[in-house]
Amino acid sequence: MKRLLSAILMSLLAVSLFAGGQSEEKQVSSQSMENETEVKEIQFWYAFSDDKRSGWIKGLAEEWNASQSEYKIIAEPKGSYRETLQASVLASRQGVAPHLVHIFEVGSQLALDSGIFEPIGNVGTFDTSDYIEPVLNYYTLDGTVNSIPFNSSSPILYTNRDMMKQAGLDPSNPPRTFEEILAACEQAKAAGVENAGLGFNVHGWFFEQWLAQQGAPIVNNGNGRDGRATETMLDSTESKKIFGFIKELNDKGFYKYTGKLEDWGGSDAIFQEGQVMFHITSTADLGNITSAINGRFEMGTGMLPIPGDSDRNGVVIGGASVWLTKGHPMDEMEAARDFILFLTNTDNMIDWHKMTGYYPVRNSSVDKLENDGWFAEAPTRTIAFTQLLETVPNQATAGGVMGTFGDTRTIVEEAIQKILNGADVDAAAEEAKKLADLKLIEYNKNF
Amino acid sequence: MNNQSQYKSRVLPWIFLMPTLLVLLVFLYYPAWQSIILGLFRSNLFLGTRQFIGLENFKNLFTGPLAPAYYQVFLQTLVFSVLVIFPGLLISLILAAMTSSLGSEGKVYRILLIWPYALSPAVAGTIFSFMFNPETGAVNTILRSFTPFSPRWLDHPILAFLLVVCGCIWKNLGYNIVFYLASLQNVPKANYEAAELDGAGMITRFFRITMPLVSPVTYFLIFTNLSYALFEAFALVDLLTRGGPVGAAPLDNAGLTTFLIYKVFQDGFGGSSNMGFAAAQSVVLMVLVALITVFQFKVGEKRVHYGGAAS
Repeated sequence: MKRLLSAILMSLLAVSLFAGGQSEEKQVSSQSMENETEVKEIQFWYAFSDDKRSGWIKGLAEEWNASQSEYKIIAEPKGSYRETLQASVLASRQGVAPHLVHIFEVGSQLALDSGIFEPIGNVGTFDTSDYIEPVLNYYTLDGTVNSIPFNSSSPILYTNRDMMKQAGLDPSNPPRTFEEILAACEQAKAAGVENAGLGFNVHGWFFEQWLAQQGAPIVNNGNGRDGRATETMLDSTESKKIFGFIKELNDKGFYKYTGKLEDWGGSDAIFQEGQVMFHITSTADLGNITSAINGRFEMGTGMLPIPGDSDRNGVVIGGASVWLTKGHPMDEMEAARDFILFLTNTDNMIDWHKMTGYYPVRNSSVDKLENDGWFAEAPTRTIAFTQLLETVPNQATAGGVMGTFGDTRTIVEEAIQKILNGADVDAAAEEAKKLADLKLIEYNKNF
Repeated sequence: MNNQSQYKSRVLPWIFLMPTLLVLLVFLYYPAWQSIILGLFRSNLFLGTRQFIGLENFKNLFTGPLAPAYYQVFLQTLVFSVLVIFPGLLISLILAAMTSSLGSEGKVYRILLIWPYALSPAVAGTIFSFMFNPETGAVNTILRSFTPFSPRWLDHPILAFLLVVCGCIWKNLGYNIVFYLASLQNVPKANYEAAELDGAGMITRFFRITMPLVSPVTYFLIFTNLSYALFEAFALVDLLTRGGPVGAAPLDNAGLTTFLIYKVFQDGFGGSSNMGFAAAQSVVLMVLVALITVFQFKVGEKRVHYGGAAS
């Protein structure tokens, strides 16, 4: 009997590990209940835990709080994007949702489906015409603006100009296509450059960008924007072209990464340490990478290289936006909206851009930066803008929408890793499609 | 089991048990029950949906297109556990025996051997990921300076797997050594002296005297190490490899360092958060642990040498 009991006990322990995680997340929100006094508190949960970006947001919250006495923004970091969204959904079910939540772009459909958010476009009237079009497009579904774009970025090519010179390449004319990247690496290798190669972390985001550049959707039904997506397009010709490029790069010994999926920092380090000639990562890292290189070599930037036989459709906006949750008094929702409009106003966005490398999401900010001569001062930043402003607005570049975007990313990343381990491109692409479709179908069954 | 007579009332023992039972009820039984129920539903964390689908989650684990991944994870967990437990215990015992034989002079060694246990798995994972970063890590920087090798610790399937195994063994060395040291102090010196007189060498003494006499502790450690391998390797995996890398066929259905507990996390909290599917997996894990525990109590006790009338 005793044995049986302890057997049951031990096994319950196993299960509670899983269930325990759940209850822990629920506790997160319980602290926001107090303080219903004269100043109305407005909670803003965001996903930056680094001092630089978190401090910037907190500073602006204080500035806004000081500008009036009726409302008080309480800005708090809540971990990763995923954790922030999870915490918000769970808080909302307990009736203590934060007013404002910072959600990453691929979480858009999940956020929408969770039903806890109110499209910000429905809260009073306000002007969105100043927001850069491709950016706002991502967060607009069926003509309604769901959320206010905040931190936006796209991937660009980073180059080690010193190595390019050593290889006899023209550093002010970086490779623009997959083929040119390969040729440049070959040339550098032939010239005896030790670390000829391209590094980027294995991340579905780059794959999505390369699909959009070719004008190809990632899911059916107008990239999930005409209706709920029911099928992924991971086995399309365009998709296989991307996988094929990664394979060729790797087979020729020109591809470098740390071995971990989504290891942004690790890949940045490889570039910063001079272990690679080319690097692809987000514009948002321009600030950090420049300071990490600290003059050890001359860094350059270029547009995201694409397949040579394709038109350049442009980039899908990456990053995150700020959403408003349902169920608060209208005046609080308007105050919350106003704070976000303040956070993303012309001057604040300029400041944000200079500090991080994220795009300022407003046209007026770009104009002002241009007039102030910022692009002459920081030429590496120009590329990012050209790339964004030249983007052709279509459903591919508006970005795919699906509830299982997170799963699809992981599946794409694992497919890439399989290919790096020698798998066949066609087989890996088809397998990835099968698995991603399965997840999508399972998810859609919830409705 | 006739201790009951010490209590006059039949109620009294239950009152004493109450606090424990309450804690168990709130933190174990109720969540466990909820997990079992959740396993029968299609439930998404973000959507808050709950559709009763019976055993479909379990069916999807063992048949259909998702099954190969689960089987692979199951197999990996098995191999991983065996590799963590047995070599880990052997190394621990050897180290413990070596420092133990030093007497009081071995104090410094003992402290040095035990300290990894004081690290949290998260810290251990972070240290390992810094050390073994293939491009910028300390290990490869040193290797590169005097060899042509620069191993891909984190994405070479076998190396990554072994690295996680080594990390787990290292992290748990301290725990095992503490138990072995305590146990070795109870091994009578006379046994060794007698064996030495009979001409037994160091190795013979280790296998013939030390190993059998510490076997009760070994037996206990096998099971604590098993639960360590099943559950606590989580942090190390999360920080070192995030369950990757995907192997070559036929091991290409899941990341090679994705173990049962990590898969529960991936399916329940990663991606689109299919909680029902993850709950079903945790139920499978529960059954597994229940079976192991029954085995531990039923079979084990008869076979372990407890040294007769010691104390």
